[in-house]
Amino acid sequence: MVVCNLNCASCPLAYACIPITIAGVIALRKYRGRLQKKRLASQMTFLFITNTAFLFGATGLIYSYFYCWESPFALMACPIGVLEHAFVDRAWYLLIYLAGSIGFTSIIFGRAACGWACPIGFLQDLTSKRKTKSEWDKKLRILKYIILAAIPPASYVTGQLAYTLICPIGGLTATLPHLLMNPHGYTFTFFFFPKMMVLVGFFILIVLLSRGWCRHLCPVGAMMGPFNKISLLQLEYYEDKCLKCFKCADVCPMQINMPYDTKTAECIRCGKCVDVCPTDALAFKFQWQ
Amino acid sequence: MKKAIYVGIIFIILASGAYVAYKQVEALNIARCLGCLAMEPKTKAFEDFWVEYPSFYTRSGIPEHPSWLVNESRQHVTMLFFWFEGCSACKSQWERMKKYGLVEGGEADGKFTENFSYAKLITIDIINSPQRDALKIYQTEGRMEAPTTVIIFEKNDTIYWYAFSGDANGEGGRPDVETLVKILERAEEEKNGGVQP
Repeated sequence: MVVCNLNCASCPLAYACIPITIAGVIALRKYRGRLQKKRLASQMTFLFITNTAFLFGATGLIYSYFYCWESPFALMACPIGVLEHAFVDRAWYLLIYLAGSIGFTSIIFGRAACGWACPIGFLQDLTSKRKTKSEWDKKLRILKYIILAAIPPASYVTGQLAYTLICPIGGLTATLPHLLMNPHGYTFTFFFFPKMMVLVGFFILIVLLSRGWCRHLCPVGAMMGPFNKISLLQLEYYEDKCLKCFKCADVCPMQINMPYDTKTAECIRCGKCVDVCPTDALAFKFQWQ
Repeated sequence: MKKAIYVGIIFIILASGAYVAYKQVEALNIARCLGCLAMEPKTKAFEDFWVEYPSFYTRSGIPEHPSWLVNESRQHVTMLFFWFEGCSACKSQWERMKKYGLVEGGEADGKFTENFSYAKLITIDIINSPQRDALKIYQTEGRMEAPTTVIIFEKNDTIYWYAFSGDANGEGGRPDVETLVKILERAEEEKNGGVQP
């Protein structure tokens, strides 16, 4: 039984508990609307579940979002880590499991895990609402697919977990917590400073741009995005109800061409557009057809 | 109907994938590749062999050493070396041991050199080896660490062991070769009265 004794300095869970509490307090002010309150509850719950290895031990399940499995209390495995291991170890059966894990949640919910479960998405929801009208923004969205496509050959050829070595999410959710918990317990390898530089770049990106990581660089989002077109959960647009006020386009953190591109791979099913629509012209629906 | 078929197909992929790979992914998750985080834990000086789990393990009592390992440890001092493809810290330790002249061959089929033939080396690929369950026995559950190198021997029906672990508190990790050799010699001394010239 885990009981908080309010002594964070000596508590191994404090590294997860403190950010969850701070994030919750900040988020309460930012999340407005019926679906957004539910989304906040979902994101906080998943942030907690993601770090419950202290209760259940490390499992063989795979996250349907981005989180480092070397994080101190990571419950499941990182999808990108599994992808790399499949190619480094020539363990092709890992690919079947990975495809099944990502595919199963994605065929049901599309890319909703980015909006409702991913701790890195949660972080970005708290950091920036800045939008851009730049044409480059649209062009650069292809980067995440290029990164995803580059990981297998890079891992295969180098025999190293090529992406993991410089992964900013690993730097944020694993390297830094370990260093905070035990500042003098480690020596650094060659990749430490490159990893930290990429992490700094990651922070700049998510502060400058709403969901900047999800839009441009997240390879897990690239895995799940294409399922948006065929997933059971769909964002439905009822044109006859629409006032063309484009409030949906204004609030969309991914800056999709709303309300028309509801099936695009970029939609993270956050529901902000649904909440803001004055005539209920947008709604989530589970569709078998 | 079409979507129901998609869901069914993907569920079958998930189930079959989990059937063949869940254990391997679990082992990788337990293994905690600190090298992948661009750092390596500092090691603590060896003090003595353990019979029971030491205090910083969340488990207590005498470990259930696997039967194949008990048999090996009865015959000679045995060292387990945990590794997997892509583990830079494993590779680095192996290369250091090789350079020192402690081991020869590759991680998959390596053995101790002639000078250290009093001991037996067992390399365990934590993804593919049937002996990978040993990883769990020497892991301090619920903490950010996994065994990297375990030295074990039997004397008078008692199993003595020592595990280096990739420990978040800096109490273990990948050992330096000189320390390993000292521990191996000490184990041989305890078991058989010292290394024969």
